[in-house]
Amino acid sequence: MSEFDKEVRRLFPSTRFEEANKGEVVVKADDTEIPALAQRLKEQRFSLMLLFAMEDFNGANGITLWYVFEKEGFEEILVIQAAMKESMESIAAIFPPAYLYEREIMDGFGVAFARAFDQRRLFLHEAYPEGFHPLLRSFRNMHIKAKKAISLSEEYPFKEVKGHGVYQIPVGPVHAGIIPPGHFRFSVIGETIFNLEIRHFWKHRGIEKLAEGMAPEEGLLLAQGICGDEAIANALAYCMAIEKICAIHVPSRAEHIRALFAEMERVYSLLGDIAGMVVDVAYPLGASPFFILREEMLRWNEALSGSRFLKGAMKIGGMAHDVQPAALSELSRYLGSFYSRFTEGINGILSSSMVVDRFETTGVVKKELVLPLHLSGPIARASGIHADVRVQHPYGLYQQIAPSNKVTEEGDVLARFRVKAATIKDSVGIIKRIIASLPSGKMCAEYRLHDGHAFSLVESSRGQNIHFISLGNGKIERYKVRTASFCNWNAIEHAVLGNIVPDFPLINKSMNLSYEGNDL
Amino acid sequence: MSGFIAFAIINVVVVMALAPLYISLVKKMKAFLQGRKGPGLLQAYYSLWKLFKKEVVYSSNSSFIMRVAPYISIISALVAALFVPLLFIPDDYSGFGNIILLLYILAVGKFFMALGGLDAGSAFGGMGSSREMSISSMVEPVVIVLFAAIAFVFRSTNLFEILREASHGLGGYASLWLLLIPLVIVLLTETARIPIDNPETHLELTMVHEAMILEQSGRNLALLEIASAIKQLLLMGIIINLFMPMGFNLQVLFPAGILIAFGAFAIKGAFLAASIGVIESSVAKLRLFRLPNLFALSFFLSVVTIMMEVLL
Repeated sequence: MSEFDKEVRRLFPSTRFEEANKGEVVVKADDTEIPALAQRLKEQRFSLMLLFAMEDFNGANGITLWYVFEKEGFEEILVIQAAMKESMESIAAIFPPAYLYEREIMDGFGVAFARAFDQRRLFLHEAYPEGFHPLLRSFRNMHIKAKKAISLSEEYPFKEVKGHGVYQIPVGPVHAGIIPPGHFRFSVIGETIFNLEIRHFWKHRGIEKLAEGMAPEEGLLLAQGICGDEAIANALAYCMAIEKICAIHVPSRAEHIRALFAEMERVYSLLGDIAGMVVDVAYPLGASPFFILREEMLRWNEALSGSRFLKGAMKIGGMAHDVQPAALSELSRYLGSFYSRFTEGINGILSSSMVVDRFETTGVVKKELVLPLHLSGPIARASGIHADVRVQHPYGLYQQIAPSNKVTEEGDVLARFRVKAATIKDSVGIIKRIIASLPSGKMCAEYRLHDGHAFSLVESSRGQNIHFISLGNGKIERYKVRTASFCNWNAIEHAVLGNIVPDFPLINKSMNLSYEGNDL
Repeated sequence: MSGFIAFAIINVVVVMALAPLYISLVKKMKAFLQGRKGPGLLQAYYSLWKLFKKEVVYSSNSSFIMRVAPYISIISALVAALFVPLLFIPDDYSGFGNIILLLYILAVGKFFMALGGLDAGSAFGGMGSSREMSISSMVEPVVIVLFAAIAFVFRSTNLFEILREASHGLGGYASLWLLLIPLVIVLLTETARIPIDNPETHLELTMVHEAMILEQSGRNLALLEIASAIKQLLLMGIIINLFMPMGFNLQVLFPAGILIAFGAFAIKGAFLAASIGVIESSVAKLRLFRLPNLFALSFFLSVVTIMMEVLL
């Protein structure tokens, strides 16, 4: 029995443990027990990773809620299943991210959470008709009649600071630039931000619903389309979940190439973040080296995988194609010059007093927020918490190669800049090591599908992505994805407080969260 | 008087013809430094032409202010163009050329631009206007002291006289060079450039000048853009004719003298525009609340110049 098992058994002396996949500890609980359990888990510093619902799980009638927790220092995750009766008591007051998950479930399944402090709609905006709950099994994909007009009383109530001299700035969802839609409601006095509420979910695609009934191979295409610059991360998580269910052993060479592509994705994504931060303080000259390096990385992506954004590279059981050995050795040589040019670019930025002045003390994410909000990725690492799935829940090749992450305490834009820069350097190192130690062998395992369900975790460029897949009769019954952005968006609402409005875009860019990964 | 009318026509035509070019040129220079190709030099003209053909959309909350603001802005810019001789100085300029008056003619245009920003009732317009006016209120005393310093150096408040003196060479006006820095700071501020503002941003929340004109569209927007471009050219013209008077106010027969002066001005203007591009590229935008430091520097240098003129 593992340490984690013991830890959990101490917490739940008499509860029923379920048969589960490796790395998952599954507990069945009654709906009435949930708030007390949540309270106990919070005291033991567990963190809520995911909460979602599934209809008719394992032949049971009705809705089963899945609460998924992790604890720092343990590889395994804790899954609590609770059958939902009439209604379930909200745990949003105990685990803050639950206020999003619960609203998501209310929209998707039409169920209620008792005593939830926030009962507003989440991904189904006011224009959707009443009684429309797309994730119910009974709902078939079809054309729906959107409301033509929304009365004043139906309008979404934002939390606003009121008082003398306070005014509201509504921004978006239509912006002056070409960026995805998001609505930001600021309450401001002068230029100082007193409150920010973010409203997202303007382009809901219904990916979870689309996945229902798909063959696993088909669902892979859906997974890699969730978010453009996390194509590898999400495709990898998807494949890992299927491989876990079907006990597929991925060949060693494929594991290496998977990690190689995951790191290349991280490098080009974070290069975009770094360049964007510099552009947002109006220093495009300093940003251009990073744009150039990013473009070069995209070309390497194309040379290795045939796709600039590494699409179509992944396959259940391994990789779709092998890579050219000649291209790999060239890439390895290129990375030498990449490293020095990148370091030069970073030093150039950090030696500009005007840029550092803009970055420093701007948009601080406090360390105390990381665990309660379940922040992950570079944002958490910049605020003093060493959150990285590759270290905490090692998968694939990362069981052998661990990244040496930089962790800073300040939590401001400058800290995120430094952490992201260090992550790029680290990833370049990993890529070089992979190329040097690439074994030969098969690219893909033979496999036979069977039914079951599993979770998988990956570290994308933005942090922790978690996927859940349930297969029944060889088809997907339920596919649930939560990317890092879903939780990390909450960090911005806290980070901007006390900052001035013109610094918001910089704070936003320093996190560079995904709109698509948030709104499936 | 006919001499002044000829001057007025030539000066205004030159201003209108060159103003968009230098907007493009600054962009081109910045793109070049970033390793990009950048837009063509005629892009600013194409954009204005495009805007003139588009319809004007008014917010239903807007009043007549929104409708007249662009015209007042362009008129104030064109009147200001009569105050800054670019190619030559006419024999008779009575009533024109007072630098204090020039400042406030430009301020009228800016005032109405800011009112227009408030008029539509959108959060961005109001935010842009309030920021622009906050910056203006800080920069106005700086500009007044700067122009007072210029007036002290040349013992005149008339720009025509000042520039005529300057065209004889700056040998006797060593203290004037101190004013080059404040003049460039004022140029960058008044034309909404880095490090004060960012003319190329698409981020509504960081904008100052752009937010103020966010509600403007079509022909009205084009007029405001031209007014801004003219303002930039006039400030550039003052710097060029003060510090690089080669070719300015030649005593050669018409039209040869005018053509030479035009060519010389266009080249010097291109040089200055490219320099603005270099300055903009080499610094980042300052934090909004750090702007007073920059203006304080400008103020200080102007005051030092005045003290040198008075005491020495």
